[in-house]
Amino acid sequence: MVTEKEGLSTAESLRKTRTYGQVRCHNPSCMGRLQPERGAKQVKCPACGLEFRVAWVKDGFPRIRGPVWDVNKRIAEEAFERKMKEEKRDGAK
Amino acid sequence: MALNRKIAYIDLSTGKIEIKPIPLDMRRKFLGGRGLDAYLLYNHAPKGCDPLGPENPVIVSGGILTATLASATARTHVMAKSPLGGMLGSCNMGGFFAPEMAWAGFHHLVIKGKAEKPVYLWIKNGKIEIRDARNLWGKTTTETQWTVREELGDEDIKSLVIGPAGENKVRFANVMTGIKNSGGRTGMGAVMGSKNLKAIAARGTMDIKISYPKEALEYNKRFIDQITSAKVNQTQGTLGTPFIWGATNSWGGVRCRNFQYNQQLYCDEIEPEAIDEACAETMGPYHMAGCFGCQVHCRAKYKIPTGPYKGVYDEGPEYTSQGAFCGEPDCTSLETLLTGNHLVDQWGMDNLETGSIISWAMELYELGILTSKETDGLDLRFGNDEALLEMTRRIAFREGWLGNVLAEGGIIASEKIGKNSFDYLIQVKGVSNLHSDERATPALALNIATASRGSDHLRSRPAIDLYHLPQEVMRKIYSNPVPYDGPLSSEHTEYIGKPWQVFWHENCYMAVDCLGICKYHTTFLGATLPNFEDWSKVIYLNTGLEFTPREIWDIAERCNMMERLFNLREGLQREDLKKGDMLNHRYFDEPTRRGAPDVVGRVIDREKFKKMVDELYEYKGLDKNGVPKPETLKRLGVEKEPSRLL
Amino acid sequence: MEPMGKVLAISPEKCTGCRLCELVCSVFHDGVSNAARSRIKIMKWESEGLYIPMSCQQCQDAPCMIVCPVKAISRDEKLSRVMVNHDICIGCRSCVTVCPFGAMGFNVIDRKNFKCDLCDGDPQCVRFCEIKAVDYLDADRVSIAKKKAAAEKITAAQRQAIALESESH
Repeated sequence: MVTEKEGLSTAESLRKTRTYGQVRCHNPSCMGRLQPERGAKQVKCPACGLEFRVAWVKDGFPRIRGPVWDVNKRIAEEAFERKMKEEKRDGAK
Repeated sequence: MALNRKIAYIDLSTGKIEIKPIPLDMRRKFLGGRGLDAYLLYNHAPKGCDPLGPENPVIVSGGILTATLASATARTHVMAKSPLGGMLGSCNMGGFFAPEMAWAGFHHLVIKGKAEKPVYLWIKNGKIEIRDARNLWGKTTTETQWTVREELGDEDIKSLVIGPAGENKVRFANVMTGIKNSGGRTGMGAVMGSKNLKAIAARGTMDIKISYPKEALEYNKRFIDQITSAKVNQTQGTLGTPFIWGATNSWGGVRCRNFQYNQQLYCDEIEPEAIDEACAETMGPYHMAGCFGCQVHCRAKYKIPTGPYKGVYDEGPEYTSQGAFCGEPDCTSLETLLTGNHLVDQWGMDNLETGSIISWAMELYELGILTSKETDGLDLRFGNDEALLEMTRRIAFREGWLGNVLAEGGIIASEKIGKNSFDYLIQVKGVSNLHSDERATPALALNIATASRGSDHLRSRPAIDLYHLPQEVMRKIYSNPVPYDGPLSSEHTEYIGKPWQVFWHENCYMAVDCLGICKYHTTFLGATLPNFEDWSKVIYLNTGLEFTPREIWDIAERCNMMERLFNLREGLQREDLKKGDMLNHRYFDEPTRRGAPDVVGRVIDREKFKKMVDELYEYKGLDKNGVPKPETLKRLGVEKEPSRLL
Repeated sequence: MEPMGKVLAISPEKCTGCRLCELVCSVFHDGVSNAARSRIKIMKWESEGLYIPMSCQQCQDAPCMIVCPVKAISRDEKLSRVMVNHDICIGCRSCVTVCPFGAMGFNVIDRKNFKCDLCDGDPQCVRFCEIKAVDYLDADRVSIAKKKAAAEKITAAQRQAIALESESH
């Protein structure tokens, strides 16, 4: 059994699916991969319009620090109103 | 070797101590750690026992791989019947205690009875002594640890201790080791307090033989590399667990104002990067610490930068503290976060439960269900930092009417407060939920509803479900080590395939807890981190025991069934709001208002939720009421429990 | 000139206190997990969050070597290390007493002293320490990193001075 360890496990074989230098838009249906420019402080999702503040774990390794509050808050409020109206029209699901 | 570590039965009422070996067939059935604890609890806790009475056993353990070469073999597990909800009590912590206990010759302790006066246990190289702890009573968690070291004259002693909250039997008092490693959930500190057991001190220099040392070293290198190369762990090693906040609060997965909102707005000051800056300013550029053997090092070191506790050293704050002292009560001050985290560490109280229950009280206060009469004049509004910290203190020391009532935990408190206060309490099985909001994530909602220790994210949460993983990646993960060809969805707002994911993670996390390693080293926050197949190798190289990945899965399923049996014996009923696999009505009735547009306006669909529970029950071999079918018990070999073999 | 050989270079400020070095050291040398057998030990001031790895410095004029009454301790110039010959050692523990770093251990199970042997040139503590709080460097390169860090501060100050200078003109 000691010799068997040379084969790759499922987890190890999935290692090649890791993506670097990108972040994911936080909108579930969107989930577009965003690639902020090196050192950028903000990034906007071209698909859904959400904007995020970007922090860098290290060079070439971005992460989303948080939303650009005013922008994403407005988008959320509009979405909420729209959905509540739709629900009234279609009846509660 | 790891397999010759022993189990000790300690009766604090009589002072009798009995030490036994752990038979190999028990290892083959339950491995160790949480799994074997579940067997021991089911066998040693009398049905319906008082959680704070002498007959409730408190069980302390390390995993089968504790202190061996399997990346971070640091975790200590504690189990008993929970004083919080009367169901399964279980907590798990990092640090250095379990390895020290293993080097001292022990893997499991079963502690029963009640000492007449405060005592602590002293475990050294195969021997256990019950010692007077009257001089430790009243001390904070760190004072207790340092005093024990001084008294016994050995700085390498590692202790598991309770603070004042545990002594005061606050029903969510935790068990602690080190500065901040906490076994937080389900009030295990109160159980220790009820036994007059202030601490367990361990020191060991006994060899643990590694079966294949050369190969184990090589494989450990590869195992660690797999773990530390993951993006999630590199982020974690830089920012600690607060890094999670960046995503969850951004898309709308954080409870704010108890359960009114699913995102905290304008909270830049307590975001991970801001916390990290405070740590760097007070502790220098290298301010991360690791638990035993861990190369992820997610534990930040800091000094409180401002306020009455300025300059005081602590560690963390964890993601849970962000929720407890910021998100849920809607406070946005870094000082409050770092101070609150320090206070619960010192007094020995679960940060998660503390923040959650105070936020519930804040909502009741704003609704007029609680008034300044019950709060003894404290203005318990949301966003009132001072009131939050003061109420934390009152709970720990059971001061004031409300402090004393909240110290009883949500269910008892709701009975004492009365009116419709229970409707606002975000709990399952008497245990408060993490500050996460699961209304947009059915898989996570199913996880907290059905978790064995109550509303909890570390029992079966398919956290990677949030990553929108490609189908082929999901398929690869979830059809191993048992085949699964049912549906799987990459959409985390979906209901399809989620029960299988929850079932898979339930078994994955149980196995991790049996091994005694950390969940950040498995398929929890990272999709490419080790699981069953990798463990099969690591167990073999360290202990010589051969298990196929499938066999490890079967053990995990069996151990989960022991926890299920315990809960059923203590009164679990599927849709019971206090003792069941059921969510608060707000999950189904109040739509989310914040976060990403796709998250906004969501509730959990009652019918679909029911179907998910049905499906999960099917995978677990339970009937529609959540009770195991006879054939399931037989298949798992637990049809004769309690068998009283250990 | 012959190279001086490599040495363990310890950067205490980087240490996360995880003690993996202690674990791998005992497994590599003795085939067991037992921190008490480790040649390297993390000294901790837990209440302040300070962790300092301590190990043999492989001294040039090693006190252990000098004090040994039976000359069981000698320098191995090839790997720039101090070694104990257990065939000669009488187990008197004089070396344990005299070491200024406490780096000579005495194992109560085997009744033998033990110390860092640099794992014959592939120190396992270094191999497993991802953050490189323990590194294995040529002796003359140990101070370079600190030199550069200190110099960086000076360059930053200089750049600032130049900027101010040009602004005022």
